[in-house]
Amino acid sequence: MKKWLFGLLVLLLLTGLLVSGCPAEDVTPDPDPDPDPNDVPVDVEQDLVIAIGAEPESLDSLLMNSAPAATVSEHMIETLIYLDVDGTLQPSLAESWEPTEDGLAWDLSLRQGVTFHDGEPFNAEAVKYNLDRFMAYGDFEGQTAAIYAFLLGEVNEFEVIDEYTLRLHLNQEFAPIISHLSHSFVGMHSPASLGALGEDEVLEAPVGTGAFKIVSWDRGERIVMERNEDYWGGAPELETVTFVFVPEAGSRVIMLETGEAHAIMAVPPTEIDRLEAEADIDVVFEDSVRVIYIGFNLEDERFNDVRVRQALNHAVDKEAIIATIFQGVGSPSSAPVVPAVFGYTQVGPYEYNPELAMELLAEAGFEDGFDIELFHPTGRYPQDSTVIEAVQAMFAEVGVNASLTTYDWGTYLDTVIVPPEQAEHDLYMLGWGTVTLDADYGLYALHHSTQWPPRNNVSYYANDEVDALLDEARVTPDTAVREALYAEAIQLIWDDAPWVYLHNEGQVNAVRSNVHGLIHHPLENILAWDAYIE
Amino acid sequence: MFNEKGQVDAVSKLQTPKRDTELRQVWRHLRRNRMAMAGLIVLVIFLLIAIFAPFITQHDPIQRDFGRALDLPSEEHILGNDWLGRDNFTRILYGSRISLAIGLISVTIGMLLGVPIGALSGYYGGRFDILIQRVIDILIAFPGILLAIVVVAILGVGIENVMIAVGIASVPIYTRLVRGSVLSVKEQGYVAAAKALGIGDARIIIRHIMPNCLGPIIVQSTFQIATAILWAAGLGFLGLGAQPPDPEWGRMLSDGRQYIRTAHHLTTYPGLAILFMVLGFNLLGDGLRDALDPRSRKYK
Repeated sequence: MKKWLFGLLVLLLLTGLLVSGCPAEDVTPDPDPDPDPNDVPVDVEQDLVIAIGAEPESLDSLLMNSAPAATVSEHMIETLIYLDVDGTLQPSLAESWEPTEDGLAWDLSLRQGVTFHDGEPFNAEAVKYNLDRFMAYGDFEGQTAAIYAFLLGEVNEFEVIDEYTLRLHLNQEFAPIISHLSHSFVGMHSPASLGALGEDEVLEAPVGTGAFKIVSWDRGERIVMERNEDYWGGAPELETVTFVFVPEAGSRVIMLETGEAHAIMAVPPTEIDRLEAEADIDVVFEDSVRVIYIGFNLEDERFNDVRVRQALNHAVDKEAIIATIFQGVGSPSSAPVVPAVFGYTQVGPYEYNPELAMELLAEAGFEDGFDIELFHPTGRYPQDSTVIEAVQAMFAEVGVNASLTTYDWGTYLDTVIVPPEQAEHDLYMLGWGTVTLDADYGLYALHHSTQWPPRNNVSYYANDEVDALLDEARVTPDTAVREALYAEAIQLIWDDAPWVYLHNEGQVNAVRSNVHGLIHHPLENILAWDAYIE
Repeated sequence: MFNEKGQVDAVSKLQTPKRDTELRQVWRHLRRNRMAMAGLIVLVIFLLIAIFAPFITQHDPIQRDFGRALDLPSEEHILGNDWLGRDNFTRILYGSRISLAIGLISVTIGMLLGVPIGALSGYYGGRFDILIQRVIDILIAFPGILLAIVVVAILGVGIENVMIAVGIASVPIYTRLVRGSVLSVKEQGYVAAAKALGIGDARIIIRHIMPNCLGPIIVQSTFQIATAILWAAGLGFLGLGAQPPDPEWGRMLSDGRQYIRTAHHLTTYPGLAILFMVLGFNLLGDGLRDALDPRSRKYK
């Protein structure tokens, strides 16, 4: 009897220990299980938290498709070339680049002595592996190429010259190749980590060469990264960087004010004045390279008539949207790309004129207007659903009744970037940042007829003349000629109006004043490798 | 006077005033209950607002006016303007139409489905009862709003679907309630008598059993309307209910959140509207429960 009681007691005690012990271990993981006695204690914990609106849809180079993915990825997965805040191309994993004499190949000299987070060496073979995979060349032939494979579309072979030299063979001269190599999605993963991926396995833990290494990714919640002590550029000050995903802008502001987050992206315009008045918070204004637009589903026959498309452009009061909803941050679209982009020509904005819009609609045979399904994301772009509600009201004033369908970002991309026969929407809202600062990227990917979904010409736009101009401009080395070609293409696209052009975004971020060194990039990235907490 | 005809007359005369007294008793009892009357008055006010909304305000609930976006309450816009310059007061007035419609229609749907199922299940018993009740058990295991979210996810967002979803989510409650009442009523002598007379099952259920289950159904419906309005506001808040530009209170709350520091009138007043409408139904329901229960009437 006593033995029996004793046994039960021990069992209870053990269970109690297990139950009480487990969560405690989970909640506070010891960052340094083997403390070095020589370690100097730091005054402030260097754990930075950044709240952003949308979660990366993936961190795999093949599948990434948004600025939030680029922002997170840049901390771990580096590119060969880095596009600096001022728009210059800086050496990163490639130290220098040189065209061959005929201009039909480029030699990249790679940085030496770099290792991936898993200890694998970084060399020309590793780069070839990544780029072959990106383009579905060589060993990857027959597999699906990256969504952004068009970036390197003119490259037909990646050749290893020696351990640290890689040659890119081009079909023809291709002007934007170096800018394209700076794109966040052309990142260098450890080949071993990619090779270990199963057939249908999704990349959850990217292994790169960057300043930070992944710790964990809780879907829908956060991504935690820790300092890479062996970073070739010198280990960062920060111990950890955490990106938390908070679609609600108001909640992000509260997190910043309570100190739960050190930095937030996309401050709601109505909060700017209040935050600027707070002593321990800095509001940061930065340009953006992103245009926001509402695209037509051009396979819908009601939109075949260009007058209908132009009418809806005239129906939207862009100035009022900027003034009211954005408190003056941003500007109405004056071309399909923002002014900072090479190749930009001012052709707009479309004048706000509801009477003209109604006339055009009547001419096209829609005196009584029509009903449309307008799809839009929420939490992705600043004030996205508010803008859409305003547009809905403006459309209604010219007789076009839009019913709205709202999606979160991940679902949204899968819903609208679909082949025409699967499209449920008549119009859709999207934005596009020309992150290479070269018009090729902004125009080709969205308007060339070869770029229909799953790529990014979501409007199913096809114009032979535009195709020809874009094709020619991307292989013309002479910058003046290129500019002229883009000017012509932009005018054609603008008059065709495959989109309702809305606005060029402006960025408003906010940071607690004790955080220094954060980079607010015009590409809508917030980068933490030089940051520290005071 | 005591001939056969006269007797029948007397009986029929007796019955008519008796029914009147029943109703009157309920009303008398209800009238004495101050909280219930407060609830009733609130609801009557909301009903009048819903019907006469266009006469109360000269503004339009969806007409934007960018120049006056986020204006604070003023003489012309007594509850201020929203982010598109729409009059907040007007939107709340029109919102009562949506909330009342959702409450009434969804409860009707729930009743039309739940009451017959519960009645049949209770009356016939046996395997049929067990089968139905296990299905209801499964449904009850989900919180109502979760069940409604599942239904909306299947049907798609929008007001009509919210009504259906909330209606379906309230079916289990009615089924349980009616089954319980039917179980107790069907053991009564007059039911046995009706059966002995060879009256058909359908007639027995409709004419003899259901009238005696009416009280609990009425009380439950009053509470259920309150719940339905809350669920619908919850769905609206999550973006699954009414879609812009419809002025649905839950949606207004959620959209107004980001302005809560600078323009709190966008969240405070729709919130109060939801509070008062739900409170009204709950108070009335409480009063009705007391008034319809003969025992509580006698002892008071």
